[in-house]
Amino acid sequence: MMENPESSAKQTRPEAVKSTLPQPGRPVPNRAYPGALIVVEGTDGSGKSTQLYLLKRWLEIGGYRLHFTEWNSSPLVKSATRRGKQRRLLTPSTFSLLHAADFADRCERQIMPLLQGDYLVLADRYIYTAFARDGARGCPEKWLRNLYRFAPVPDITFYFRAPLDVAVQRILSGRPKLKYYEAGMDLGLSYDRPESFRLFQARIMDGYDKMVESDNFVVLDGTLPVNRLQRQMREIVASKIDLKRFAPRAAEAE
Amino acid sequence: MPETEKEKLQDKERAGAAVEHPEQVPGRLPVPSDDESSRNFFGEPLVGFDPHEITGTLIVIEGMDGSGRSTQISLLQEWLESEGFAVQTSGLRRSTLVGRDIDELLAKNAVTRLTLALMYCTDFFDQLEHRIVPALKSGTIVLADRYIFTLIARSVVRGINRDYLSGLYAMALRPHLTFWLNVRPETAFGREFRKAQAISYWEAGRDMSLSHDLYWSFIRYQTMIKREFEAFAKRHDFLELDGEAPVSTVNKLLRQRIAEQLGIRATKYTPSSALAHLWR
Repeated sequence: MMENPESSAKQTRPEAVKSTLPQPGRPVPNRAYPGALIVVEGTDGSGKSTQLYLLKRWLEIGGYRLHFTEWNSSPLVKSATRRGKQRRLLTPSTFSLLHAADFADRCERQIMPLLQGDYLVLADRYIYTAFARDGARGCPEKWLRNLYRFAPVPDITFYFRAPLDVAVQRILSGRPKLKYYEAGMDLGLSYDRPESFRLFQARIMDGYDKMVESDNFVVLDGTLPVNRLQRQMREIVASKIDLKRFAPRAAEAE
Repeated sequence: MPETEKEKLQDKERAGAAVEHPEQVPGRLPVPSDDESSRNFFGEPLVGFDPHEITGTLIVIEGMDGSGRSTQISLLQEWLESEGFAVQTSGLRRSTLVGRDIDELLAKNAVTRLTLALMYCTDFFDQLEHRIVPALKSGTIVLADRYIFTLIARSVVRGINRDYLSGLYAMALRPHLTFWLNVRPETAFGREFRKAQAISYWEAGRDMSLSHDLYWSFIRYQTMIKREFEAFAKRHDFLELDGEAPVSTVNKLLRQRIAEQLGIRATKYTPSSALAHLWR
């Protein structure tokens, strides 16, 4: 029998990264995808966004195929989130569900299609933010894990760890006033916003620390100088991901 | 699971066979057991909630579009109020938080199935926490025009995993009574068409590409939903009523069962002039 040239070409491709979490739909053949997903996590003020931005610039300048996505940024859910926060309608469950709807929208319309389409996807915050933050608000872990089980598992999850005081100071010095939910005022930990924020961030950090092993976090020290941290990050990315596959076509042919 | 079986399953999944997970049975939501939280919830207890505070009664009326749900709820509300009970109603897309946003998403038809499912879930929990639970704590009777069963059924027929959905609604409060007004899709089609001289895109499940013919799309979609309900009915003690019977007959049966639940005598009831037009 003649081999179909197209199918044999496909077989020689490097093995696709698999999602180990069950997908919400019935299992479909494209559960595995050729793209790669890099995620940064950490508390506010841990330096993660700066580092991901620099990683993105490095890859962009090199001409790699990539897409950048941010937590809580889907236009679809924006008005509801704004209304909920302004009128303080959000409870731990609805806060969590609304963010899940936001993530589902980006996942179904951007992240999954791009991973299928062989892109490098960079995410500033991912489902672990929800696990840590909503867990700190009292949502059951089992419920949260189920809520996000449609999410593809990242190839690398960087966890930027900075001591609580450093992280809190970075945020407080740069912001005139903390917002209600941002400070975790809904938890009733303290009437003082900065103090409430501190207690809330401490709980979130505990949540992150608990996931280091179970979710294969790559822990980075958020107090290191920016350029040294960035060098570490680039080395890890280059060692764990076959970047050539996302390079411009011309470079691939060389 | 033995290694070989695991591999077999993986092979199947790789091959893209539409295997439902072995323990995935229709109507799957945990049934109540002896433990207290399972008597009150479908799984996990709601965050920061004490079931002992509940003194009211949660009554759910389920059924497809055109099964007569809203007619019966109007009548029941009048009857219960005339009996001296405080009544509150709830229904889909009525939350302050996202009710209107869902309307907009549906109108624009610019939403994927999982996002929509999660928006409906947000809508449900916003109403549960801000309206239903406070009402139940104050001894009010809550009449729910549809509940999690409709929401789960709609997502299941669109291919979303059943276990995922029952996990999502694990924190939902278990109703005291769930009535199911069962009608044939053919009957429902006629009733719905007469209401608006049209059938809406979503009622007919047009997003599922079942048929280009509006009638057949409606029938096939509602039949799929109905099958999910049949499975729920068995597992969750639905009180099934013939939705094709006259309004007054259905209403009488509803009142009898509700009176029994509330521990009152089933009294005679005829609707006031404001609702007389419903009493066909």
